[in-house]
Amino acid sequence: MYITPKITCSAVLLAALVLTFTPSAHAVDDANAAAEKEKELIAVLRSDAPTAEKAIACKGLAIHGSSNAVPDLARLLKNPQLSSWARIALEVIPGEASDDALRKAADSLNGLLLVGTINSIGVREDPEAIDLLKRKLYDTDAEVASAAAVAMGHIGNDAATKALRAGLAAVPAKVRSAVAEGCILCAERLHKKGDTVVAAEIYDDVRNADVPKQRILEATRGAILARNQNGIPLLLELFQTNDKAMFQLALGTVREYPGNTVDPFLPEAVTRATPERAVLIIQAMADRPKYVDLPAVLKAAEQGPKQVRLSAIDALRRVGDGSCLSTLLEIAVGADPELAQAAKVTLADLPGQNVSREVVGLLPTSKGKTHMLLLQLVGQRRINAVEEVEKALAHRDKSVRSAALIALGETVSLKKLDVLISQVLAPRNSADATVARQALKTASVRMPDREGCAAKLASALQRSSPGSKTALLEILSDVGGKKALQTLATAAKSKDPQLQDDASRLLGKWNDLDVAPVLLDLAKTAPAEKYKIRALRGYIGVARKFAMPEQQRVEMCQNAFNVATRTDEQKLLLDVLKLHASPQGLRLATKAMGTRALKPEATQAALAIAQKLGGKGVNMKQLLSGAGLNNVKLEIIKAEYGAGAAQKDVTAVLRKRASNLPLITLASTSYNTSFGGDPAPGVIKKLRIQYRINGKAGESSFAENALIVLPMPQ
Amino acid sequence: MPKKTTQYSRRRFLKSAVSAAGAAVVAPTIIPGSAMGLNGAVPPSERIVVGGIGIGRRGGYDLGCFLQQNDVQFVAVADIKQKRRGEVKKIVDDHHGNENCDTYRDFREVLDRTDIDAVLIATGPNWHATAAMTAAKAGKDMYCEKPVTKNISQSLILADTMRRTSRVFQAGTQRRNLPHFAFACELARTGKLGKLTKVYAHPAGMQAMMSGWLVPEEQPDKDVVDWDMYLGPAAWRPFNKKLLDGFNFEKGGGFVGAFRGGGVLEWGSHCVDLCQWAVDDCLPPVEYNARKDGELMARYENGTQLIFREKGWIPLGSCPVRFEGETGWVEAGDSGKMVLSSPELLAGREVEEIGGYPATFHVRDFLDCVKTRRQPKGNAQAACNAHIACHAANIALLLDRQVKFDNATNTFTDDAAANRLRSEALREPWRL
Repeated sequence: MYITPKITCSAVLLAALVLTFTPSAHAVDDANAAAEKEKELIAVLRSDAPTAEKAIACKGLAIHGSSNAVPDLARLLKNPQLSSWARIALEVIPGEASDDALRKAADSLNGLLLVGTINSIGVREDPEAIDLLKRKLYDTDAEVASAAAVAMGHIGNDAATKALRAGLAAVPAKVRSAVAEGCILCAERLHKKGDTVVAAEIYDDVRNADVPKQRILEATRGAILARNQNGIPLLLELFQTNDKAMFQLALGTVREYPGNTVDPFLPEAVTRATPERAVLIIQAMADRPKYVDLPAVLKAAEQGPKQVRLSAIDALRRVGDGSCLSTLLEIAVGADPELAQAAKVTLADLPGQNVSREVVGLLPTSKGKTHMLLLQLVGQRRINAVEEVEKALAHRDKSVRSAALIALGETVSLKKLDVLISQVLAPRNSADATVARQALKTASVRMPDREGCAAKLASALQRSSPGSKTALLEILSDVGGKKALQTLATAAKSKDPQLQDDASRLLGKWNDLDVAPVLLDLAKTAPAEKYKIRALRGYIGVARKFAMPEQQRVEMCQNAFNVATRTDEQKLLLDVLKLHASPQGLRLATKAMGTRALKPEATQAALAIAQKLGGKGVNMKQLLSGAGLNNVKLEIIKAEYGAGAAQKDVTAVLRKRASNLPLITLASTSYNTSFGGDPAPGVIKKLRIQYRINGKAGESSFAENALIVLPMPQ
Repeated sequence: MPKKTTQYSRRRFLKSAVSAAGAAVVAPTIIPGSAMGLNGAVPPSERIVVGGIGIGRRGGYDLGCFLQQNDVQFVAVADIKQKRRGEVKKIVDDHHGNENCDTYRDFREVLDRTDIDAVLIATGPNWHATAAMTAAKAGKDMYCEKPVTKNISQSLILADTMRRTSRVFQAGTQRRNLPHFAFACELARTGKLGKLTKVYAHPAGMQAMMSGWLVPEEQPDKDVVDWDMYLGPAAWRPFNKKLLDGFNFEKGGGFVGAFRGGGVLEWGSHCVDLCQWAVDDCLPPVEYNARKDGELMARYENGTQLIFREKGWIPLGSCPVRFEGETGWVEAGDSGKMVLSSPELLAGREVEEIGGYPATFHVRDFLDCVKTRRQPKGNAQAACNAHIACHAANIALLLDRQVKFDNATNTFTDDAAANRLRSEALREPWRL
């Protein structure tokens, strides 16, 4: 690809350059094409092209370059502006040529450019560079020496490791941190390879060196993990130390420990720690769910300082099982509200297959607070225990009955829904009515078979009292579906004014397109005028907010126009047409311009639709003429096109194009072309116009290349 | 934080779906506040001392989330822009009622301070990974805005560095700490949807472009704008204000647009991240296909598909994700709402509806983890996997063909072109 020498916005060139990397470039057959591209890019580097072009050519060579490009790239390593660009290519071009070039450059460069070159050597993990890097490790420039140390760490072979270990004591203080970093990288590599003995030795070297605290921490972590079981004493030592950073390191490291060797030692660490630290160690124990010493966590939950107990109770939520149930129940009904709340939260989620079965098993014999708690748990854990819970509906204590109703709301199946329906229709105790309704709603909306559920609710409606009917209709509305809709539609046309009111209100809020014909029918035939209007507004709302083919939306609007007798609803319809611009909608809005009371709104709507449509398929002059806007006095006061501070005055252009219409047609559909150039390349621009129509001032702005239809000033 | 407890019906979004909402569920916490010593007043010994790096528009929001926390003491800010340094200092000082927030041009001076425990990194994406790793090596924990990395190589090194340095790293993927997203991911992860077949992410743009070299402009004084520090690890180019204020400068490995777009990375670092959580934070997909019919399909080792798609979403707000299994599905978005294939999936759970993707809970998660040394939700390994998925998808988009990624070697299989795009040299003196 040839890159033009003109520098404007190279982002475009970069995009084009990379995007030439098409599927065919992957195929072997296109190797020749890639080679050609490489030649073109090399030619740019050899030319007197501006720096920008050379930079981008480097980026291109990162993709297309081979060893052929290396000499030209290498020449740029001494160029402060292009060195980093050249290394982008040199770092990824395969083969020894790049390595050779980087090493050679490192011999002659200094300062930052040398640092960068050494960094690239490190990224390429070039083992041939060790002798060079060993020398640079003792460079007087600490940045250079540090780069060499880290590069050797990345290479990580025996020679690098040896040189770095020796360097720990030998290099100046400023370089020691980087040498330690290099050592740790080498030790990690050895650890991964299984040579844990040498790895541990290196970590110890760093731990004993005069290096920054963070390096000591990293080495300590490594020393523990490399030793595996033999590292446990050191880990436990950290739990006892006064050094906060070391203690925190232990908390992190224990979570990484392989296998189960460390877990038996952790309870002792909890016991010996201060409460503040025990809290944290318990959390770390629980983050090892496979190996955690559960009895130890349970014991910590049962007794000891409160903050430790809270931590342990919380931990049981993740790692507990059925063996923790009785203890947690005891705490949950205990005197301390904070502990009780924590236990309740844990009980709701306590893992273990037997837990739910045991909760049900305890229900018949439980009393008081425990009974209530178990009922709550049935609901929270969604345990199928309807028969046991149903018994509690006869309990003399309202709070127990409420707990039972809530539990049933969370657990009953469709088959057992009648248990709740009967509580709504005829509660054993009137005080339970509200809870029963909420429970029935909770149960109904979670039923997978909603048509079956709606059928049961509809059937119940027939035999319910007036007060319950409203509740059932609301639940039906929440359930949704065909049966529910049909039931509400029937209710809306019943003879009962309360049902008419409830049902038309709920249908007006129905969030489904299926409600449209029902609402239209009601708008025509509802028993009272106010419900007709409510239904019509609901129908317009459906046309406004649901996704549907535009043809269908316009048909709905036409239907509504046919029914609407008041301008309020007609104006709402024009808003719908404006919001969802379409050619069909434009025709309808234009037609509405013929209605005297609607003419201003219909005209604004038609112009707005035409604007949104960009004039496509619209005879604007005819439209404006129909609106009586074919002979206006238009004055352009000021017009600017651009973005942010980059604005171009286009007043003269617009004045020239202005006519006796509130429409301005430019020479081209492109604003940039019409206004003689792009004032802000690559940025989203706007056209802002201040104008007067028939003496009234207006102001409007237009997205780039939009049709210019000026709104009539109010 | 406003808590919605609206109960609404299944037909709210789809005929066959259920929306989940419910009574208040407290924000995700690790352990009770009293156990952490967070009951109101926090003793100085328990405070987390925080410094800021590059606090602009997004960072300002994050800063607000930090300052809301009783146990945070914000003490310093570093920024290459003098104006911003002053603005952030004023916010912090006003909040703390003192004049103690120190300002720096070079963030390394913040890292040199031994009194600072953690840093908030909210620079442009060009700096995120490099600053994060520099901070880790200086012994700081960090909350780092997304996208976290510029390429696959940086993603891998980031995870390695955080592990090796034992630092707490939280990517700015705050949706991991929002209840409805967490619940949706949990359904997928725990098999409640049956065997997972497809996870969908909304990339909000699948253009692959590069940052550029714009027309040189007069470079401001270094104290006003430190252009060299702004470029940082990015290859050199002359000063241009558009690049300086370019939100997407050098986002996405040097081949993402200078002015707009961001490939799949800008939103993918959220949406794909959630998909990764849904697949239990497993290793990233092994196959990425060319875009077809507006969708890019990637495939995990176990056959589950990760699909980047622009259209076909239930209107649940920005950043939607959808997880499909053999027996059910769930979709969630930034409105705070989710839609389920069956109400049974709720299983009695109440999932709080928090819209507007606040970062408060995510910041709290980070601060808790600084104390407990637990891995936060947006930890480095999770971020690494999600970002690799995004970078690899961007490479497939760029090459306009299928690429295959080997998670054992972290290379593309038999694909020199794709492998060359895994990394990019850093400008001197920066290294990872």
